Amino acid sequence: MDLGTLGAGLGAGITVLGAGLGIGRLAAAALEALARQPEVAGDARTTMIIAAALIEGVALFSCVICMLLVVMK
Amino acid sequence: MTGNIYFNQTDSQGNPQHTTNEVQPNQPAQHITHESGQLTPGDVFPTLLGNLGNHRHISFFNADISELPVIIYDSKVGFHAYSSSSSMVEQKLFTMHQDAHGHFHPPIRRAMDNQPVSMDLSVTSLVVFEWIAIIVVVFLFGWVGRKYKKNPTKAPSGFQNALESLVVYLRDEVVLPNVGTVKSAKTLLPYFIGLFCFILLCNVLGLIPGGHTATGALAVTGGLAIIAYFVINITAIKEAGIGHWLKHLLGGAPIWLCPIMIPIEIISMFVKPFALTIRLFANMTAGHVVLLSLIGLIFFFKLSNGLGVGLAITPISVGFSIFMYILELLVAFLQAYIFTTLTAVFVGLAIGEHAHEEHAH
Repeated sequence: MDLGTLGAGLGAGITVLGAGLGIGRLAAAALEALARQPEVAGDARTTMIIAAALIEGVALFSCVICMLLVVMK
Repeated sequence: MTGNIYFNQTDSQGNPQHTTNEVQPNQPAQHITHESGQLTPGDVFPTLLGNLGNHRHISFFNADISELPVIIYDSKVGFHAYSSSSSMVEQKLFTMHQDAHGHFHPPIRRAMDNQPVSMDLSVTSLVVFEWIAIIVVVFLFGWVGRKYKKNPTKAPSGFQNALESLVVYLRDEVVLPNVGTVKSAKTLLPYFIGLFCFILLCNVLGLIPGGHTATGALAVTGGLAIIAYFVINITAIKEAGIGHWLKHLLGGAPIWLCPIMIPIEIISMFVKPFALTIRLFANMTAGHVVLLSLIGLIFFFKLSNGLGVGLAITPISVGFSIFMYILELLVAFLQAYIFTTLTAVFVGLAIGEHAHEEHAH
């Protein structure tokens, strides 16, 4: 088990922290908006999914990098 | 999810018949063959994950159905096409690594100097599954379209309803609100419907046991994103004009900021399709990796701790796998939706202010 693999594992973990925090805050805000204004449910859901996809995209970038660290050593 | 999981299959020859070239250091991990043919616990995950990639044959679980054609362009040898990998090796112009099970693995090398060929355009298992998806989409929409043409006044029936609600949903919820102008939304609607159905079918075909996920390959998602790139920019130029498109490169900043803004805007133009590529690829691959890892735990514990531990871990592993499988089903739909929606949003962003000007008039 070399340092690259360790780094990849740590990187994946830290990435998940960031992405989880981001999507969690996003969902909380969307839920709050829904509770205040139930009539915008459709719009809020679409916007939330798009924003979640963008956050997830950044997280997946780093996951791919972590995977490359393990696979291409 | 791919089918070829080879465990505990002792090959009697010990050494497979790849005499033409020795095992290359950069071979993918899937052809680890030990002298005994037995896997060690450390080989379980590399072996499983090696099965996620492209294959040179079609198989359903462990049963091989057929080998696939090989198309090669090489700067020295020229253009060659063979009906299968084995006929290519028989012609002795090119060599390819063959594992103990008779399967071929890239890279293809020139026989004369053992160098990789310049371009390997072969039909692989993922291409076959793309074709299946294309055929299904074309057949379904052709069939339903004929029904509408025959009875334009009749209410839709049966499967027509399902497709109509899908098309109406994509038109009203995805394309029209996000693409700036109604005219370009109408022009682009067939593209978005095709994109959604193709990605969705590729994703779902990969979830059928024995199938392959075509969207789990960077080449496929990259191709889709390149098409999206051209759709975004050509629509923007057509709708807003080339002058406005060039002005868009400034990002609305004062002119003296152009040394900073133009590179940033050009990079962001390419980052969008790149992000689309990686998002779809990583989402489809990640689920399969987790699934295979969960299944691999059974074999890992069996090989390292004995049969009893392997059996004990099986219910947990299978339970989590079922959970992951259902999650993947959700992700398959979600990613098709997100790819389509984001492409529509990017088209709308690229047309941008022009659409607002139109409203103001």
